[in-house]
Amino acid sequence: MSDDRDDSAGDRRGALVAEYVLGLLGPADHERIGRQIEADPALQRERDFWSARFAALDGEFAEVATPAHVLERIEARLFGVEKKPSVWESLALWRGITAGALAVAVAAIGFNVMRPAPSVTALTTQLVAALEAEGSDVRFLALYDGAGTVRLTALSGDVTSEQDLELWAIQGGADPISMGVIPVNERSEVEISEEIMAGWGEGSVLAITVEPKGGAPEGKPTGPVVAAGEVHQI
Amino acid sequence: MAVQAASADIADLIARCSLHDRTAFRTLYQRTSAKLFGVVLRILKNRAEAEEAIQEVYIKIWQRADRFVAGQYSPISWLVAIARNHALDMLRARRPAGEDIDAALDIADAAPNPERLAAASEDGARIEACLAQLDAEKADAVRGAYLDGYSYEELAQRFAVPLNTMRTWLRRSLIRLRECLTA
Repeated sequence: MSDDRDDSAGDRRGALVAEYVLGLLGPADHERIGRQIEADPALQRERDFWSARFAALDGEFAEVATPAHVLERIEARLFGVEKKPSVWESLALWRGITAGALAVAVAAIGFNVMRPAPSVTALTTQLVAALEAEGSDVRFLALYDGAGTVRLTALSGDVTSEQDLELWAIQGGADPISMGVIPVNERSEVEISEEIMAGWGEGSVLAITVEPKGGAPEGKPTGPVVAAGEVHQI
Repeated sequence: MAVQAASADIADLIARCSLHDRTAFRTLYQRTSAKLFGVVLRILKNRAEAEEAIQEVYIKIWQRADRFVAGQYSPISWLVAIARNHALDMLRARRPAGEDIDAALDIADAAPNPERLAAASEDGARIEACLAQLDAEKADAVRGAYLDGYSYEELAQRFAVPLNTMRTWLRRSLIRLRECLTA
């Protein structure tokens, strides 16, 4: 009978869609059949039929608790939520605030004028940065002399006897590079290393973090950013 | 009934995810992650891979929440299908292309009594009854493909039969299963 043949052709088609739903087809076959199904409502009904029927077996999958960190990672990937904001996020937040701090910097240039006049070439490459952050009383002024040295003036701020302030240079998306521990409440000078000098200039960021006495143990900032500012030409 | 109430809750949580409700997403994760982790772990058989997979699965759930149509599937089946398909995709990506046999759907055979496939509610007793009509080994092979994600090669090894025999077994079993389910 032709009806029998039609049914068995339909059953063969159905069986192939069932193989697709079960995941038994090889990679190329699976992809091709998947595309055919997407293009054909009758095949979609066939697929949905098998999916729903096999789903009756879902009760046989035992429940297994996920490790605690999995949800955190999913949320971090979906929503960008992290437990601790990274140095980078802190800086992005504070960069806007430092614009206002430039006023402090300009006012402070006065003390520079009173020093022996620098050479004309040095003057053209002089840079200044005001380092501060909302919620922190640590404020520094950084002045680059155009010849490899940053002069730091502490305007305010203090740390406990178990802590030090550490200065960092952040340039061009790279990890922060340590410029060493800096004294509190006094002026100091820091030589710029070759590594920092390679990317040094307008737009470089200087940041100060609170670290354990002696500085961050592994050369990466561990404490909160208490002051940061972008370097600008004078 | 408790099961139906839980099911409605999950459908509601999925709907709220489609509106980007993060609290609903967290609740959905807390209610369903053990089940879905069980699915990917059983199929991948490797804890580290399953932990990677479950992250991808929930990212897909968040991104596809607007495609969930309440009433078409039970919500938990919809979630299990996303988890199961993701785990199978991972396995398939590793399998050699040599497993392809150029299977093709003959479009000329189109329109197989679709009305009998419509409104396919999940009737657990029905598939169990139809599987019970198959030889025990063949029913186990079908279950192994669905629940453990076994390939034809793995099934052939487990049941100690040649690969082509396993293909023939399963296709005949699926045809019989379809006849029984649509009868």
